[in-house]
Amino acid sequence: MDVLLAILGQFGLYGLLTVGIAVIFAATRVVNLAQGDLAMCGAYAAATLTGAPFGTRTLIALVAGVPVLLLVERLLLRGAVLDGLAAMLVTWGLGMALRQGAELVFTGTARTVAVPVEGTVDVLGSPYPAYRLVCALTASAVVVLVLVLARRTGWGLTLRAVADNPDMAAVLGTDPRRLRTLAFVAGGLLAVLAGALYSPVLAVSPGMGFNLLVPVFFGLLLSRPGALGTAAGAALFVSALSVLLRTWLSDTLAEALFYAVVVAIAALRSRPWIGRFSAWFRRPSPAAAGAA
Amino acid sequence: MVPSSLPRSRGRGLMRAPRTAALALAGALVLVPALSACQGAAVSDDTPAADGPVRIGVVVPLTGPVSQVGTALRNGLELAVKKVNAEGGVGGRPVEYVVVDDAGDPANSTQLARRLIRQEKVTMLFGTITGDTAEAVGKVADEAKVPFGTAILGDTEHCFPYQWGFGESTRQMLAPAVPALIAKYGTKVALVGSDYNYPRFYAGIAEQLVKDAGGTVVAREFSPLGQTDWQPVVKRLSAAKPDLVLSMVVGADAVTFSKQAQQFGLLTPRLGYEGAPLDADFYPALAPLVEGRTHTVRWSDGVEDAESRAFADSYRSAYDWKAPIPEVAGNAYFGVRFFLGAAAKAGSTDPKAVNEAIGAFRYDSPLGEGTRFHPSNHVLQADMRDVTIGAGGAYKVTKTHPMVADETPKKGCS
Repeated sequence: MDVLLAILGQFGLYGLLTVGIAVIFAATRVVNLAQGDLAMCGAYAAATLTGAPFGTRTLIALVAGVPVLLLVERLLLRGAVLDGLAAMLVTWGLGMALRQGAELVFTGTARTVAVPVEGTVDVLGSPYPAYRLVCALTASAVVVLVLVLARRTGWGLTLRAVADNPDMAAVLGTDPRRLRTLAFVAGGLLAVLAGALYSPVLAVSPGMGFNLLVPVFFGLLLSRPGALGTAAGAALFVSALSVLLRTWLSDTLAEALFYAVVVAIAALRSRPWIGRFSAWFRRPSPAAAGAA
Repeated sequence: MVPSSLPRSRGRGLMRAPRTAALALAGALVLVPALSACQGAAVSDDTPAADGPVRIGVVVPLTGPVSQVGTALRNGLELAVKKVNAEGGVGGRPVEYVVVDDAGDPANSTQLARRLIRQEKVTMLFGTITGDTAEAVGKVADEAKVPFGTAILGDTEHCFPYQWGFGESTRQMLAPAVPALIAKYGTKVALVGSDYNYPRFYAGIAEQLVKDAGGTVVAREFSPLGQTDWQPVVKRLSAAKPDLVLSMVVGADAVTFSKQAQQFGLLTPRLGYEGAPLDADFYPALAPLVEGRTHTVRWSDGVEDAESRAFADSYRSAYDWKAPIPEVAGNAYFGVRFFLGAAAKAGSTDPKAVNEAIGAFRYDSPLGEGTRFHPSNHVLQADMRDVTIGAGGAYKVTKTHPMVADETPKKGCS
């Protein structure tokens, strides 16, 4: 039970970040390397606005995040979006600017956020910190909500259409620019939410988001562009792999094995026969065939 | 429409790139001879001017993850130099210092240390926070035969003839603390650390001292730096049912580990807890978890000595400081004064002569009566103190261990 709860806890964090980065990637074909640093901003909002209750702080972070993300997308990514690599470098620069900015404003010393829900709860015989459970469940619920939205709404359909073939989607009357803006803001907000929600269990420091980037990047690597379900699945896989390895082995060995397994899977996936095999299981489309 | 615009915009980019590159190259071609001419002039004589000021080269991280500690070290040093200059300098010579920011990256530290020696002609080097940057500067200092002082706690297995540490050595911090903690909390000890050289070195010495004090090590855990999920580690530690946890989990991880250990019910007031997370730097983040605990340090701002109090007061007013003053600032303050005292004794700005004087120097300061370096390991033989962490971040001295010796020989110096 302990292990399942640990996986759930880890999935809440990685899931929000990975689905967020996948939404952005689907619409813009840009790996948002500032995703972790946006989470750091959310965490600092929770750590500094201590006058308000925790829920309000999270809401403030999200509301304040919207215009900032809009501005970033308009000013920095609009021109660069035509070239994926340039845009990725822009997000890298944005991440660095956020880290340095946080260091200037809040100094490099780590801060903590008081846990909003004290105590432990009994989950099928295993005592577990109550807040961890609350935040893991909240985060998972948000991930599920995003998946449902992507499946059931017009926005989700457009997102999938643009992810599959942006030119065709544009010809058919979708405005890819609007979608890109919307996706960047939505994906960024998921990161801000992840940072704010998990701030009471982590140390809030300027570098905290950067540490989260690697597992999230692996999640994106193992998912299929445009298919947010696979991103959530990949985040679950990354969380489970990391927790299981660390439960059975020492942390050092577990980390080395974790990287080895993820890299092996990524390498195997690029083999043509695996691509052909997995293509059996999905609707053939030109973009998907290209990605495989 | 969209596809046609793609190649065009790329084409423009390609056109621009070579032009910029060409301009940069032309600029570089003009600048390089000029720069090398300057350097040539500087390289011809590395030794400081015999009748000039005493110059200290300070390599510290002022940006990056350990910038806060680096800044504290710089502040301590700055106040020490001010004080020495106010008292007439070193044998009548004024003291100057040049601060460079290595951002905690050993590649930067090496280059910056070389530049300080060659261009700034410093008599001594001081600074660095992390072990890898200290080693980088230590090597440069050894090659150039310029004394180099550090102020951060902890030591390494190796000793460099030109490197001197003012922070407490691992044995000095653990030897007085371990028997007392075992007597107070119990004999079962768990060791936990970030996974790099120093915490493993710390754990090795801790294990020996725990055995000597009649305790047993029931768990040893190391986790990579930047760990966000400590649940598996905390569960394994809890399963071993320790009475005492010695932690060398460092940086922001110290905060994450302590918080999660408390959330999972390991870190309770009944459990003994000592190590890096109790340092003054972490107090603002961990106050409720560390208050009431005892921490063994070389210096704290609670040291009741006139000179130490004067330093703490000047630090608070000069830097508008309200939190507990980091230990490294005090170690740097008294460390630099030790170095400058030795330089005065040497009566010269020649780095080699100053290094010899440092090895033989004895200095009375709040760190101890007649503090000196042991020749076989370059560890400062000085006092240690038990401080009890009180409300509001008062690191009050509750016991002084006079002259805690660490004479274990190390390769490189013995």
